[in-house]
Amino acid sequence: MEDILVKLGYCVEFGKVDKNAPYPPDMKGQDGADELTKQAIEQGISAAVILEDALVAAMNRVGQKFTEKKIFIPQMLMSAKAMNAAVAHLKPFFNSGEITRKGKFIIATVKGDLHDIGKNLVKMAIEGAGWEVIDLGVDVPTEKVLETIQANPDAKIGLSALLTTTMGNMQVTVESIKSKYPSNAIIIGGAPVNEEFKTKIGADFYAPDPQSAVSYLNR
Amino acid sequence: MNHKDRFYATINHQVVDRPASWLGLPVPSAEPALLKHFGVNSIENLKLAIDDDIHPIEVPYNFPPSNHIACAFNFAKQTHLDTPDERTLTAPGFFEDYNEVTDIDKFDWPDPTKHLDREESNRRAKATSKNHIRMGIMWSAHFQDACAAFGMEHALMVMLTNPDMFQVVIDRITNFYLKANEIFYESTKGQLDAVLIGNDFGSQTGLMVDPDMIRTMVFPGTKKLIDQAKSYGLSVMHHSCGSIFPIINDLHEIGADIIHPIQALADEMDAPNLKKNFANKIAFCGGVDAQYLLVNGKPNQIINKVHELKELFPTGLIISPSHEAILPDIAPANIEALFKAIKD
Repeated sequence: MEDILVKLGYCVEFGKVDKNAPYPPDMKGQDGADELTKQAIEQGISAAVILEDALVAAMNRVGQKFTEKKIFIPQMLMSAKAMNAAVAHLKPFFNSGEITRKGKFIIATVKGDLHDIGKNLVKMAIEGAGWEVIDLGVDVPTEKVLETIQANPDAKIGLSALLTTTMGNMQVTVESIKSKYPSNAIIIGGAPVNEEFKTKIGADFYAPDPQSAVSYLNR
Repeated sequence: MNHKDRFYATINHQVVDRPASWLGLPVPSAEPALLKHFGVNSIENLKLAIDDDIHPIEVPYNFPPSNHIACAFNFAKQTHLDTPDERTLTAPGFFEDYNEVTDIDKFDWPDPTKHLDREESNRRAKATSKNHIRMGIMWSAHFQDACAAFGMEHALMVMLTNPDMFQVVIDRITNFYLKANEIFYESTKGQLDAVLIGNDFGSQTGLMVDPDMIRTMVFPGTKKLIDQAKSYGLSVMHHSCGSIFPIINDLHEIGADIIHPIQALADEMDAPNLKKNFANKIAFCGGVDAQYLLVNGKPNQIINKVHELKELFPTGLIISPSHEAILPDIAPANIEALFKAIKD
């Protein structure tokens, strides 16, 4: 049992999606996250163990290496792809309630801003940590965020801005959320955003990188 | 010193009367406040009013709706306005559906000879002050365009899973720019002093892509673009937003004369760190933080920052905002303070 979980975790950590995947080159022809997850389920390993001990643990290592600049966006994307291939096999267990997500996380790039690379990386890391992510995309008006919170009242929220000119829109969105939903935690991120700005606008956490957002949510 | 002597002395680490300067490229929405503040009727006159050293010349590229060479490729699968402000690198791109290098010709590659206006290039160069550094704004962002060709996230994975495919696409894009730039350089021969080329490689905290992948797959094209500009006797300013500390040496080695824009708040990109590691080796342009200081600071804080930069880099640094696009949230008084302090 341990062997297959170790192998599965390795596939996610190093981005081996399935047997046909050419990457990483030194694993050519070997089973990937897709096949190994299937095999683990067939061996009777519980979905919860597969999810936590292999997949989430691997994505945690990926996030840590990204923070330490040992890997970069392409490697992180491949890990997320391998993770998704594995999670696809766990869908029936999510549907049956045998395993559950840690919670819901609403993420958006604020109104006026079209940049989404950073947002997407945070999304991947948080999904990889076992959360259900509702991605509202880019250029998202405050009203849309509020509507989504109304439909998902326990959700945490993540807001991204790359431009100094859209930081004001981030402030508007944060203040609107806090006036209606004061207990919903808000994480902010993006190139010009910092700890001081977080305090100024009343957000709960400033995440300089994806893994710090995961750590905050899992605290 | 005149503007040209100052520019060349600055980038050659020689003694200057004051460091060279560059305003950057104010976005259209920032222009009215700047013109009003300085009491001028054009950005060209504003540059004369602040005694700027570098005057940019945009490449005239007739390809509606953007008419911008940075939007020469229609890679995006979804319809959008395709102006620089509307362009998203992450939108799914044409090559997302192709895996074979032989598929390269399935895309309708643009021919720059049909769109790049030779006469207008010459007219623009002639209309730009000979006494200043005339800098062609080439961009030639072959890496960013290759990302758009697939959709950025897909492209970054293709770099790992199918490097030959990524390479054939980025090489074709590079060839487009080499041809376009040749037309521009020939049309403006003898009237240009420098060019700006570049790609964004950095985020606020580090490189987006493994430096070895950049060296292997991207820099060969960058070197061709730099070599071409040098063959016309032009100085090369290389732009990349973000934290690019690990590849500054590489850019120097492949011929870049100036690294732009020193995104001051990005990791390892603060002026003291760059001074410590690259003093007298390569020149920089930028340094006055446009993410916080120019947006939120007061004129006296800008003045202090410029004085600090001048002390660190008595030469070797073209003082400029740390982002070429001057956005409307920067107070014109801060721009005035920046240029006043350069001359103190």
